[in-house]
Amino acid sequence: MSAAAAASALFTRDIRAVVKSRSQLYSSIFTPLLILVFLGNGVSEGLAPANLTAGNFTAYLVAGVVVMTSVFSATFSSASYYRDRDSGILRMFLSSPQSPRVILLGKSLAGVLIGALQALAVLLAAAPFVEFEWQYGVITGVLIAIAAIVLLNVMLAGVAQALASRIQTMQGFHLVMNLALFPALFFSGAFFPVDGLPIWLELMSRVNPLSYAVDALELAAYADGSEGFFGLALDFGVLGVLAVAVYLLALARVPRLTYSGK
Amino acid sequence: MQPTPAVEVHDLSYSYGDRRALDGFSLSVPAGSVFGLLGPNGSGKSTFVTMLAAMAPPASGSLSAFGQPPHSALRARIGTVFQENASDPMMTVSELLRLAGRLFGVPRAALEPRIRELLAQFGLSDRAGELTGNLSGGMRRRLEMCRALLHNPELLLLDEPTTGVDPDERRALWDALLRRDTGQRTVVLATNDLAEADAVCDLVAFIQAGRVIATGTPAALKQGLRHESVRVGWESPTAEQLRMVAEWAGGSEVTRDGGFVRITVDDASTFVPRLFTLAPGAIRSVTIEKASLEDAYFRHVTRRGDAMAGMP
Repeated sequence: MSAAAAASALFTRDIRAVVKSRSQLYSSIFTPLLILVFLGNGVSEGLAPANLTAGNFTAYLVAGVVVMTSVFSATFSSASYYRDRDSGILRMFLSSPQSPRVILLGKSLAGVLIGALQALAVLLAAAPFVEFEWQYGVITGVLIAIAAIVLLNVMLAGVAQALASRIQTMQGFHLVMNLALFPALFFSGAFFPVDGLPIWLELMSRVNPLSYAVDALELAAYADGSEGFFGLALDFGVLGVLAVAVYLLALARVPRLTYSGK
Repeated sequence: MQPTPAVEVHDLSYSYGDRRALDGFSLSVPAGSVFGLLGPNGSGKSTFVTMLAAMAPPASGSLSAFGQPPHSALRARIGTVFQENASDPMMTVSELLRLAGRLFGVPRAALEPRIRELLAQFGLSDRAGELTGNLSGGMRRRLEMCRALLHNPELLLLDEPTTGVDPDERRALWDALLRRDTGQRTVVLATNDLAEADAVCDLVAFIQAGRVIATGTPAALKQGLRHESVRVGWESPTAEQLRMVAEWAGGSEVTRDGGFVRITVDDASTFVPRLFTLAPGAIRSVTIEKASLEDAYFRHVTRRGDAMAGMP
C-alpha cells in the first residue's frame, strides 16, 4: 500500500476524531462568533470608532476573528500529537512500515482542512449579518478569502507541527503557542487597523505573517475601494512562500515525538 | 542443516543518556520458534524489542531480522504488541483495526475478512463496534494481539503481552495465538512471567543488565537443578544460617526472593525438618514444588538489592 493511502487513512481518522468531538467542533465556531457579536457591537456602539474606512467595527473584526479561529484550530489539531502519544496509538503508527513523515503529512493535512473549514464557517456565518463591501464581487471575494485561509492554515500547521515535534509536554506546547501567536494576533490588524499606528507597532505588524492573512481577508470581504495595508500581491506572495517553506521545514525535521522504547 | 535464524544479534549496545540499556547483547532466534526473553525490569528486554521492531537504531553491534538490518520496510513483516496498549480510546475496535490495516498495507479487499477472522479468533466479535476505551484490560490486550497479527507478520514481538491480564484472559489469549500459530511464525516474547514462558516458549534467554547470560530450552536450563523447589517463608535469616543450608547434603541453589528463601533439593521430605530445627519459630511457611524455570532463572539472575554475597 502506498504512502498516500496510509496518509489518507490518518487524515480520515483525524477528521473523524474532530467530528466526533462535538464540543470542540461547536466551540471552535461559536466562540469566534460570540466575540464578533459582543466585542464588535460593544466597540461599534460604545466607542464609535471613526478611523475605519468602511462598515462598522463588527465587520472590520471578522477578518481578525477568522485568523484567530485558524490559530486556535492549529493549536488544537497539533495537540493531537500529544494525545496520540499519551493514548499509545503513536506507537502503532511508528511501528508501521510508514515513515514518520507520512504520518505527519496525514495528520497535518487533516489539521489544515479542519482549520480552514472552521475559519471559512466563521466567515460565512458572519457575512449575512455584517456590512461587507465585497469590492471584487462576492464570488471572487470568497475565492480570495478561501485561498488566504488555506495558505494561513498550511503555515500555521507547519509552525504548530514544528513546535509539537520539539516540545515534550502538551502544557509546554500550549504555552509556547499562546506566547508566540497571541501577541502576533494583536499586531496583525486583527483587532485594530495597523496603518497610522506608532512606527514600532507598524514595524512589528510588517514582520508578522498573520498581518498578511488579515490584510488579504479585509481586502476580500470588508474593504471598499481600498488596496489594503500591503496589497493582495504582497499578501499572497508572503503567505505562499511562508506556507510552503514552514510546512516543508516542519516535515523535513525528524519529529521527537517518537516512542522512546524504554 | 540448521534452519536460517529469524533474528540474529551480535554484541548489540544501546544507551539512554548515561544509562546502558543493552551492553554486548547477542542471541540467535530460530525461525518458527517461540523465543522468550526473561529478565528483571530494566534489564533491556523492551529496548531490544524496540530495536528489533526497527523503531530505534543500534548504537553499536549488529542486528538482523530475516537477514536484513532493521529498516522501515521490514516493519511490514513484523507485528509488535507493546508493553502498554497502542490504541485510541475514542476509536471503535473495528475503526482501530481498519486504520492499522491500512498503515500496514493490508489490501482493502482482504482487510474486512481478516478483521472478522481475528476478532473471532480472539473472542472479540461482539465488541467490534465498541470504543476501545470501554474494553476491559484483558480485552484490550487481545485487541493488541489482533492488531499485531492483522498483516500476518512473519515475526511477532510480544513485550509483556499479558501484564495485568487475569488467568482466564491469559489462557484465552495464548490459546488463541498458539492454536493457529505453531511453527508458522517466529514469536519473540519478552516477559517477567516465568511460568508463562515455561509453558509457551521453545527457547528462552535470561537477560540481566543488558546482556544475555544464559540461553537454551526450558528443559535444558532446568537440567542440573535438584528435583524439588522449596519456598520458605523465613523471617530474617542470617547469612550464617543460609550458608549452612547451602552446605547441607542435598541442597544446591539457595536464593533470596523478597521475604522468602528458595532452595532446590533432591528430597524435600528429609530436608525441610532440618530447617525447623535450624530456625525454630522463624519459619512461617514452606511450599514444595517441582523445580521450575523460575529456579533456573534465579540460579542465573542476581536479584536486585538482595544478592547474597558468598552464596554458592
